[in-house]
Amino acid sequence: MDDAPPVLVHQAITHDSAIRHVTGAAPYIDDLPEPAGTLHLALGLAPVARGRITTLDLEKVRNTPGVVAVFTSKDVPGRNDVSPSLGDEPMLAGDEISFHSQPVFVVAATTRRAARIAARLGAIEVEQEWASVSIADALSTGETVLPDYAFRRGHPEPAIDGAARRLAGEIEIGGQEHFYLEGQIALAVPGEGEAMFVHSSTQHPSEVQHIVARVLGLADHQVTIECRRMGGGFGGKESQASHWAALAAFAARLTGKPCKLRLDRDEDFALTGKRHDFLSRYRVGYDERGLIEGITFEHLARCGYSADLSLGVVDRTMFHSDNAYYLPHVEIGSKRLKTNTVSNTAFRGFGGPQGVLAIEQVIDAIAHERGLDPLDVRKANFYRDGSSVTPYGMEVFDRATLLPLVEALEASSDYRARRIAIAEHNARSPILKRGLALTPVKFGISFTLKHLNQAGALVHVYSDGSVMLNHGGTEMGQGLYTKVAQIVADEFGLPLERVAITATRTDKVPNTGPTAASSGSDLNGMAAREAARTIRLRMAEEAARRLDVAVSAIRFEDGLVHGGDETMTFAELARFCVLERVSLSATGYYRTPGITWDRAEKTGRPFFYFAYGAACSEVVIDTMTGEMKLLAVDILHDCGASLNPALDIGQIEGGFVQGLGWLTTEELVFDNEGRLRTHAPSTYKIPVASDVPAHFHVELWDEPNREDAIYRSKAVGEPPVMLAISAFMAIADAIHALAPGNPVQLRAPATPEAILDAIDRQRAK
Amino acid sequence: MYNFDFHRPSTLRQANGLMGKLEDAKLLAGGQTLLPTMKQRLASPGQVVDLGGIPELAGIEQKGRNLVIGAMTTHAEVAGSALVKAALPGLAALAGSIGDPHVRNRGTIGGSIANNDPAADYPGGLLALGATIVTNKRRLAASDFFTGLFSTALDEGEIITKVIVPTGAKFAYAKFRNPASRYAMVGVAVAKKGGKVAVAVTGAGSDGVFRWEAAEAALQKRFSAKALDGVATPSAKNLNGDIHASADYRSHLIGVMARRAVTTASGK
Amino acid sequence: MPKVSMTVNGKRVSGNVDARTLLVDFLRNEQRLTGTHVGCDTSQCGACVVHVDGKAIKSCTTLALSCEGANVTTIEGLANGQDLHPMQAAFRAHHGLQCGFCTPGMIMAAIDMVNRLGFNLSEETIRENLDGNICRCTGYHNIVKAIQAGAAAMGGLKVAAE
Repeated sequence: MDDAPPVLVHQAITHDSAIRHVTGAAPYIDDLPEPAGTLHLALGLAPVARGRITTLDLEKVRNTPGVVAVFTSKDVPGRNDVSPSLGDEPMLAGDEISFHSQPVFVVAATTRRAARIAARLGAIEVEQEWASVSIADALSTGETVLPDYAFRRGHPEPAIDGAARRLAGEIEIGGQEHFYLEGQIALAVPGEGEAMFVHSSTQHPSEVQHIVARVLGLADHQVTIECRRMGGGFGGKESQASHWAALAAFAARLTGKPCKLRLDRDEDFALTGKRHDFLSRYRVGYDERGLIEGITFEHLARCGYSADLSLGVVDRTMFHSDNAYYLPHVEIGSKRLKTNTVSNTAFRGFGGPQGVLAIEQVIDAIAHERGLDPLDVRKANFYRDGSSVTPYGMEVFDRATLLPLVEALEASSDYRARRIAIAEHNARSPILKRGLALTPVKFGISFTLKHLNQAGALVHVYSDGSVMLNHGGTEMGQGLYTKVAQIVADEFGLPLERVAITATRTDKVPNTGPTAASSGSDLNGMAAREAARTIRLRMAEEAARRLDVAVSAIRFEDGLVHGGDETMTFAELARFCVLERVSLSATGYYRTPGITWDRAEKTGRPFFYFAYGAACSEVVIDTMTGEMKLLAVDILHDCGASLNPALDIGQIEGGFVQGLGWLTTEELVFDNEGRLRTHAPSTYKIPVASDVPAHFHVELWDEPNREDAIYRSKAVGEPPVMLAISAFMAIADAIHALAPGNPVQLRAPATPEAILDAIDRQRAK
Repeated sequence: MYNFDFHRPSTLRQANGLMGKLEDAKLLAGGQTLLPTMKQRLASPGQVVDLGGIPELAGIEQKGRNLVIGAMTTHAEVAGSALVKAALPGLAALAGSIGDPHVRNRGTIGGSIANNDPAADYPGGLLALGATIVTNKRRLAASDFFTGLFSTALDEGEIITKVIVPTGAKFAYAKFRNPASRYAMVGVAVAKKGGKVAVAVTGAGSDGVFRWEAAEAALQKRFSAKALDGVATPSAKNLNGDIHASADYRSHLIGVMARRAVTTASGK
Repeated sequence: MPKVSMTVNGKRVSGNVDARTLLVDFLRNEQRLTGTHVGCDTSQCGACVVHVDGKAIKSCTTLALSCEGANVTTIEGLANGQDLHPMQAAFRAHHGLQCGFCTPGMIMAAIDMVNRLGFNLSEETIRENLDGNICRCTGYHNIVKAIQAGAAAMGGLKVAAE
C-alpha cells in the first residue's frame, strides 16, 4: 500500500463553501434559526476607564418591557473570569472598572431591541480615578501586566560603541482593529441537566469550552462548543471570543432559555482587544558598508488592562526583531505596559510584524545615513553561512532560501532599473515624489508556547463509502477545511465531494489548540491524514484478504480499490468492512516535532521552520498634502510545496492588504479619558479596492519545505502581513528623496498627516 | 432607534399638510444621514415623513440659463445626468464624489443641504455657484440658506422642493476626503462667471461652509492657481481640529484644494 | 403596527412591522433571507447591499416601509435553480471570496455596476465602484478579476480567465 502521488493536494481547488457563499446559503451564527424562546442579550457598559463602582441601580433596566432578567458579577455561579491564562479578566466587572466600556451587567430580553434599550438605562455611579491610557502614561506609572523579558547575545553595548558608525532612534508603531466582517457572536442553548451547548464564532473552541465551564462551575464535559465558520478572525477571535460565549452561556444557565449575544460594530470596537501598539527604541552600531555589529532594542508594548496573550505576542516581537538579518551582538528587551484600555490581543502576525517593522526601519536608517541602496544593506546583513544563529540561539537552518528568493524578486520586479527611473522622476518632479522598496520576511512557524502545537482529528467512513471529516481547526475563510479535505480525500483516493466537512466541535475532537500562528493546516492536516491512514490500512487489510493479495498491493484511486487484477469500488469495500466487523472510525493526532524552546532558560528551538517571502512596492506621495498612492506591488512568497496555490495566493494578497491598512490608513485614536474615538468604519479606514493597485503580482516560490511538514508545504496565514512593510519603506524612500543622506522619521500608520509631518522634518534637516 | 409614526405622502400637497399638522416631525429624504443618526439616537423624531414617494420632487431640467434640480433627485442621478454633465461638469463630479455608489443611489440633494453637515459636499458647491433653494414657501439664496453647523434658514416643517443652479460658470470642486467616512475633510468649490469668482470652503470651518474672500480677490485678478501663491490660507483658529486632522493641516489643505479646483475649473 | 408589501425575489410578500424596522431586518427576520448580512450597522461595509427597483442600496440604511411597493432582489434571488447567475459563478471560479461574509453584498454591488456601466469594465472602474464594499480577507484582487469576468459573462462576452 504505497502512497500514490496526490491528486487533489497541490491543486487550486475552490473554497469548500464557495457555492454557498455566492448564493447566500452559508449560515453564520446570526443566520441560524433561533430555538423557540431564545432571549437576546445586551450589555451595560462602564462609563469611565478607571474607578470604583459606588452604586449600581438596575431598577429601570428590570422594569423595561421585554426584559426577562438582569445579571451582575454577583450572579456568576462559577468563577467570574474569562481570561485565557492569568485570571485577570472579569466577565462582568465587580467593584473595579479597568477600561472604558467594560461590561458591568447583562440584560436578557425577548428581543434584541428591548435588551439594548434596557441596557442603557442602568445607573452606574463610579468614583472616577485617573486613567492611564498611553504608552507615556504607562511609563510614568511603571505598571505592567507581566514581568519584563529580554534575551541577549555577546556584548552589544561595547560592540555599538566600538563601531565605526552609530545611530539611535525611536519607532512609533500603531495598533490595529481586526474588523472581521462578522462581529463577535455566541448562541448558547441549555441542554439536559447541566449541559450547555454554545455556537461560538471562535478560533479556539477548546478554550471557549474551558472558560464557559469555569464561569458556570461545571466540568468541561458538560460544555460543547461548535463553530462551523467565522466571517473572518485574524486573531481577533483567538482569545476574544470567549467572553461573549461565556456571557451567553451564563445567561442561558440562569434563565434556562437559549441566549444570543451579538455585539454591534461600535461595541465590538470598544470591547475587544487589538493589535498592540509599540514604541520601540534602538541603538545600533555598524561598519562603513552598513553591516550591523551590535544592536539593542527595547520594545514598549501597550497591552491594556490585562495580560491576555501579551506574553506570547511580545515574545514574538522579540523573536522577529532580527527579521532576516544576523545580529552579532544583540540585546532585545521588552516591557508589557499596563493601561486602562481594552486588553490588546492576537492579530495576524502576533507581535511579529512590529518586530520586523522595527528592524526594517533600522536597516533603512543605516542605508540612508551611508548613502547606500537599502536593498544592498539588507542583503549584506542577511543570515548566511557562519552567521546563521538567531539572537535566541536557533540555527536558521533553511536560510538558503532567503537570498535566492530575494534576488529572484529583485530581477523579476526590475528593481534596479526602476530605482534609476524613480531617481530621474524625482529629480524633475518637485511635488510628486516616488519611492521604491524591496523588503524580505522570515517568519517562524510554531506556537512559541509548546503545548499548543498539537492537533486532533476524527474521521468516519460510512458503509456507503462516504467520509465524514472533523478536526480541531476552525474555518475563518482561509480555506483550512478545504485543504484538510483535499488531504483526506487523497488518502482514500476519493473525489472531494465524497468527504463531508463538518463543523468544529469540542465533543468530536478535544483539547485542541487555537487555529492560529498560521499552523492550522500544518497541524490539522497531519492529524487528519493520520486518522485517514489508520482507517485506510484497516480497509486495505480487508481488501487484501478478499482479493487474496498482499496488503502492499492494494491501491486506492479514483473511488476504486485495486489489488492485483481485481477492482472494487471504495463503497463496496466499506460495506464489506462493516460486514466483517472492521472499524471504520479513527482519531488522528499530531504534535510538531523538534521544538524545544525553554522561555525561562532562553534556550532551545522555538520554531519548526521559517517561511520566507519578499515584496517590492512602489508608491507616489504628494508632498503638498501627504497623500499617498500605491502604484505597484510584486511579491514572491514561499509556501513550500503549496497545498492549494489558489488559497495560498489568496492569503498572500489578503495578508498584504491587511498589513497595508495597518501601516497606512488604520489609525486608532483613544482620547485622554480612555475612550476609543475611532469605533466604526466611518472613522477608522479599512483599505478598499481602490487602495490596491492593478499591478499586484503574486508568485509562489516553488521549493518544498525542508522539514517534514504536511506534503512539504509551509504555513501562509501570517507571514504575508509583513510584506506590506515594503509599502511603508517605499513611502519612507519617497520622503528620503527630499533630503538624501538623512534617516527618515515616519510613524506608523503613515496617514497623509503623518507623511506630511515626516516631510516637514526631512526638509528641516 | 426609537420608534416613530411613519408617513409616506404621494404628493407635495399631502406632505405640506402632514408637516403643518404633525408635531416633532422629520422629513426623510433618502435617509443616508438621518437613519444613521437615528440609529445612534442622536435624533429621535416622533414622526417621520418619507418624501420618497413624491414623483414631482425628483428630476433635472434645464430652464433657460439654469439647471433646476428636484429636491429628491439622488446624487447618482445628478452625477449621471447628461444635462448636468454638459452644463456644469464640476457639479456632476461633486455629486459623484459623495459617499459610495449605494449611498448615491438613495441620498438626495435636498436631504444633503437641509442637513447642512459641515463636511457635506453640496453646501460648498451651491454656495460658490450662487444657487437658489426653493421651498414650499419661498426662495432663498444659498448664502442666506446655510447659516451654520447643521443649521439652515429653513423653518419648522418647511420643505425644500428644488434647487436652481445658474449655469455658465467655470466650476470645479476639489475635495480631500476623509478616507473612512468619505465626507470632506476639506472641500473647496471655485466658480468663475464673468469677472466674478466665488470660493467656498466646506469641511474645515468650525461654523460650517464659508467663503474664502482673500482667495476670491486674488483669483478675480488672475484666474490661475499661481494667483494663490502668497495668499494666506484661513487661520487655523477658525477651523476644525479633530481626530481626523488638525486645524493647521486643514488650513494647509484649503490652499492645496483651492489650487486643484482652480486648475480643474480653468480646464488646464 | 403598519403593514408593508413589496416584491422580494419575484414573490409578493407583506408583513406588519414597527416603523423603525430596517429593510435588512425585514429581509433577515421576517423573510428569513439571511444571505444579506449586517457587517457594520453604519452604512459603510456594504455587506447588506440589495437591489431596490433595480438599484443597489444599503439595506441597513433604508426603512422597510420606504420600500412599499418596491421590487427587491437579494442574493437569494439571483440563481435560477441550480444555475448560478454569471456573477455568482465568476466569484466562485476566480476565488473572489474567503470568509464569504462580504460576498453577497459584493455580488449585488457588482451586478449593479454592470447595470450602470455595461459589460466591459476596466479594472480601474471596478475598483472605484467598489468604494462602498469592504472585504477584510481577499485584498480585492480576485474580487476585481471575478467582477470583470462576471460582467463579460453577463454580456455574453468571452474573456479568457487568467
